[in-house]
Amino acid sequence: MATRSLPSFLLQVTAWLLLTFFVWWLATPLLAWPVAVLSHIVTRLGFGDLVQSVEQSAEMITFVTSLRPPGTLPGGAKAVFEVPANYRLFSFGLPLLAAMILAAREPRPLRRLAIGYALLIPAQTFSVVADFLKNLLSEPGITSQLTFQPWQRELITFCYQFGTLILPTVAPAIVWVLMHRRFLERFAGRRAD
Amino acid sequence: MVRFFVVFLLLQGALFGLELTPWAQEWFVVPWTNVLASISAGLVKLFDPDVIAHGKVLQSARNGFAVSIEAGCNGVEATIVLLAAILAFPASWKRKLLGLAIGVVAVQGLNIVRVISLFYLGQWNFDVFEWAHLYLWQALIMLDVMIVWLLWVRTLPRMGPAALA
Repeated sequence: MATRSLPSFLLQVTAWLLLTFFVWWLATPLLAWPVAVLSHIVTRLGFGDLVQSVEQSAEMITFVTSLRPPGTLPGGAKAVFEVPANYRLFSFGLPLLAAMILAAREPRPLRRLAIGYALLIPAQTFSVVADFLKNLLSEPGITSQLTFQPWQRELITFCYQFGTLILPTVAPAIVWVLMHRRFLERFAGRRAD
Repeated sequence: MVRFFVVFLLLQGALFGLELTPWAQEWFVVPWTNVLASISAGLVKLFDPDVIAHGKVLQSARNGFAVSIEAGCNGVEATIVLLAAILAFPASWKRKLLGLAIGVVAVQGLNIVRVISLFYLGQWNFDVFEWAHLYLWQALIMLDVMIVWLLWVRTLPRMGPAALA
């Protein structure tokens, strides 16, 4: 494949972005499902009975916890404390990855799209779970029910920041670079001998 | 390639951890964010005199709408990613420093466009503002970082295949 010029590549990425953002927006309920499932597995393994279930509705992934909500309900009714997370906030790098894969015009783009999406699922799960834990720590009536040590609270805060500010954008870029080494070598004027 | 990614991830984690410290926030992030708001306001004033900047807030004196430049919108994280990518890649220090100087200007330049565009999008339609703020501009800034890095890599003298192997 011939070496691509940067303006040509950039133009195609921009054009593909329009379509990939549209498809990503529509397909969010489907794309979020594996992340919801993996989030449930991770929280069950990592935090035992803290999370009873993880439910998904469109782009929202909701953690149903075993914690009691602050305050009392009329008639002594029992309630569960739920923490929602918006999957889209942690997956907007997916349309960028798809646009860059399609614009690179390397062989088997559909296979690359599938692999790229699969590789991003753990990163998205990390962000969603970190967001859930940070929201738990932010609830004044909830923190007293948690047994996190100070260093664990610091770690959760760091993971939340990393999972929100860095991972959603950097993970797709890393995945793209890993899957397009030859493209990069041609682009940089090198050979993949 | 393995060495590049290991160094890149370590550098990025270290720089991001450093950014979150109170010291870095007080002496670098907050002052930089304030400067960013001032630069954005200065540029907007060239064609719209009804804008004011106070601290990290850019506000319209006409209708009161304001945007506050928060973490993730001040371009610091994008700059960290670029910094780590350039430092991790095998090149001379002279070329790394040159790439960083030009790259940081390019990333922050587009970030100013982001701030100004969001300032006006918010006054026009809040739903569009939210969409552009939360999703579109985040992706575009990362694309900018990628393009700057690719351009920089392209300017490097030809090296053996081991550089990317």
